[in-house]
Amino acid sequence: MSVAVKAIENTRAALEAIVQRAEERYEKRRQEIFRHTDRLFSRLMIGQWAFAVLLAWVVSPYAWQGMQKTIHLHVWVAVLLGGAITSVPFYLARTRPGEVATRHAIAVGQMLWSALLIHLTGGRIETHFHVFGSLAFLAFYRDWPVIVTGAAVVATDHFLRGILWPESVYGIANPEWWRFLEHAGWVVFCVSFLIMSCRKSDKDMRVMAERGAELEALSENAWRNSSVLDRAAADAAGR
Amino acid sequence: MDAMNTGGTRTVGYDRVVLPGGRQLSRREFEALPLRERVGYLMEGTAQFFNGATQVTAADAMKG
Repeated sequence: MSVAVKAIENTRAALEAIVQRAEERYEKRRQEIFRHTDRLFSRLMIGQWAFAVLLAWVVSPYAWQGMQKTIHLHVWVAVLLGGAITSVPFYLARTRPGEVATRHAIAVGQMLWSALLIHLTGGRIETHFHVFGSLAFLAFYRDWPVIVTGAAVVATDHFLRGILWPESVYGIANPEWWRFLEHAGWVVFCVSFLIMSCRKSDKDMRVMAERGAELEALSENAWRNSSVLDRAAADAAGR
Repeated sequence: MDAMNTGGTRTVGYDRVVLPGGRQLSRREFEALPLRERVGYLMEGTAQFFNGATQVTAADAMKG
């Protein structure tokens, strides 16, 4: 093999290695963010569960059937349904952190938590703010499809409960038929900006990774342009 | 290659690149090239970077 051919092959290999390292840096950073956010949500899920049980216990701890005092259904709903909503995202966050399915399951679970809290507070408008907080938390992933999943869950929940059990979501028995569209409109407003922010953050991460590759390429160029004696001296110093 | 402006302040960053064959790209166009292609130009040292009318080294171009 001639020296020229070998030099070309070395250059090509170095180029591929630099590009590969940039991709690895980008993926590594994304995975760090995904795993960190998964852990955050696993703790939040437990916190929400405890909060919901406390809320049900404080707001409506007992029901009366004649002279008999019984624990209100809402307490059981908070314990059992809350546990069910928490279990899958919590399990996935602990056993399969960083995976696509995990963060989408967390998005579903988080929005179901919004739905349950809204129900437990009798459709209080203030509890609807949990939806917007949750969507903002989901943006921590910097992965916009996760936000779309969350928005789809909350829109479906409002639509179905608005038809089947309007008191549970709006606190009144006969809301206008289009009430869910009003809520969905505000969700779309919020989500559209969060998606833009996620895409920008993701692009910035890639730019950072590529900037590293460009600097590596400059360093490689300087190395190749250095004299043979310089390289021999650097090699000797490295040993 | 002159990387200094007349005021003696080091010029960093770039707004224009001239590639082999005389092809001129804006910074945005250069950054939109595939990473493999950009890295190739930088490794070979075949891209010339300009900040306004001043030619800057690739190293200084990448600082801004």
